[in-house]
Amino acid sequence: MPLDYRRFNGPEDSVSYKRFTKDYLKSYSELYNNLIDEKGRRKDGRALEEARSMCMFFARTDMVSQAKGSAYIELKKTKAVCSVFDPREIPHQNEFSQLGQLFCEVKFAPFSCPNQRRTHAPDADEKALSVALRQALEPTVCRHLFPNYQIDVFVYILENDGSCLAAAINAAGLALANAAVPMYDIITACSVAVIGEKMFVDPTEAEEHLAMMTPEKEGTNHGIITMSMLSELKQVSDFTQIGSMDTDCVTKAIEILEKECENIVPNIQKVLVLNVVQCIEQRKQLEEEAKEREQALNAKMEEWKQLLNSG
Amino acid sequence: MAGLLLSETEKVFILHGVQDDYRSDGRSNIDYRPMELETDVVSHASGSARLRLANTDILVGVKTEIDVPKPDKPDSGRIEFFVDCSANATPEFEGRGGEQLASSISNLMQRAYHSSQAFNLKQLCIFEGKQCWKLYIDILILECGGNLCDAVSLAVKAALFNTRIPFVKAALMDGGNVDLQLSDDPYDSKLLDVGSAPLLVTLCKIGENCVVDPSAEEESCSVISLIVGVTGNRQYYTQEEETDKKTMEGKCTTIAMHGPGSVAPKTLKEAINQGIIAAKSLDEALGQALLRERQENIGFKKHSYGFLK
Repeated sequence: MPLDYRRFNGPEDSVSYKRFTKDYLKSYSELYNNLIDEKGRRKDGRALEEARSMCMFFARTDMVSQAKGSAYIELKKTKAVCSVFDPREIPHQNEFSQLGQLFCEVKFAPFSCPNQRRTHAPDADEKALSVALRQALEPTVCRHLFPNYQIDVFVYILENDGSCLAAAINAAGLALANAAVPMYDIITACSVAVIGEKMFVDPTEAEEHLAMMTPEKEGTNHGIITMSMLSELKQVSDFTQIGSMDTDCVTKAIEILEKECENIVPNIQKVLVLNVVQCIEQRKQLEEEAKEREQALNAKMEEWKQLLNSG
Repeated sequence: MAGLLLSETEKVFILHGVQDDYRSDGRSNIDYRPMELETDVVSHASGSARLRLANTDILVGVKTEIDVPKPDKPDSGRIEFFVDCSANATPEFEGRGGEQLASSISNLMQRAYHSSQAFNLKQLCIFEGKQCWKLYIDILILECGGNLCDAVSLAVKAALFNTRIPFVKAALMDGGNVDLQLSDDPYDSKLLDVGSAPLLVTLCKIGENCVVDPSAEEESCSVISLIVGVTGNRQYYTQEEETDKKTMEGKCTTIAMHGPGSVAPKTLKEAINQGIIAAKSLDEALGQALLRERQENIGFKKHSYGFLK
């Protein structure tokens, strides 16, 4: 494990104090009971199959002024920033590649996760997310339009409260559209956490954590699925599953996720349309200003001409 | 796979073959090519296996070490995968060329083995909260002829089946530290329960259908492949006739997609089902081969082939 020697690091065998707090020592069933209340609602008031896309969703573009396109997405407490940069020639490559390439990088902020501090060096988790992000984005970008060039997509996760891959894909799709990269369709993603019979759509961190833990009863389904879709084309661009579940469960999850991915599309569309409207308004305003300036200039010219002629 | 050129008509030929469930080498869509498997090939490892599937050659060695368990899982051992793509396999792996492929394979294996229903890490526990076994699984890719994930997962399962972990003879508590005495006798050791360890099946989408174990020609006809990790069935890995015939259904432990294309949701569902069927027959065949090998090992009848083939 590479360490950052410019900072103070704890002893090698030290563990977070949180491990000894009451919250940490809860058993599986206690944790499970904490997730749902008697009415079958989750901790943040959502129903099981209710995603955060409806009322806890916020997205905007043009976050990073230096980037060609950028986006910020917030699913209540999961927050991700994405920036997309101009195409540039693929570095260190001898062969000509017919298709353009995407370079994706997902990074967690050091303070983004509730339990442990993230290190600066990219860990296996981040690398896996980067690969998944690239896999998800590749089918949607018209890569034949920029041969031998690569587009850089950087995602920075500011806060992680579950479904960070889905948030990263949504943000990246929006940022690519904002950067005016030619795309086949709007890309959206969603995840689901499976714990036994229950499916938590768009899970929070606590739900994800429990879904990854081993259930007490042998043979129960558990795990997390993330799926990204091109909704208009009805194509799945990436599908990642981890855990252990039977086929019926996977099939059911695919159906739920398909619906949920479609639900996010209007949100993204709204942002994009708003962008276009703003752009047109801005242009109108600029044109008007230019016209005014020209008129003023012309008036001045007339004045001078008269002065010259009279003199 | 350099220099493989296929004309449009050849591609159409392959596609039509896949449509009719009869491929150009005579296999059906869920058939594998013949494989060679030998266990116990490396003497310095606790368990090892070598697998050759068509032109892909994998060597897996399992090393065991005593380690401290993770604080959040005091009663389970640890398992780690390392993939080494040597430049012998293909010149593309030279330098840091194979790094990305290696990390993606090891990541996939780690994910497939994550669930305790796939591989129970509790069997690696020695002393709860203090000591556990850590398995280092080193995967060496000697030759790369496509379909790496499937070959790696098969070889890993075979190597784990072959792994022997020495018994602990005595434990001394010295203050807060534990002092362990291990048995020196190589036969005084326990075997791991790997029956449910997952196998990865790569499904290559050609036209509307998916095929397992694609040849190089078939791979070039496809833009997307789906990798499904399916748990094994313990029944295939024991000699005893189990009284309760609880036929464990294969469960998905990991699913991933690979390649620049995309699939329709309907195809995805079909492919997952197809993957589970293929994994089941693969698992059964592997179990039989491993049991036969162990039988020969016990009777000292085994003829060692090694790499001299």
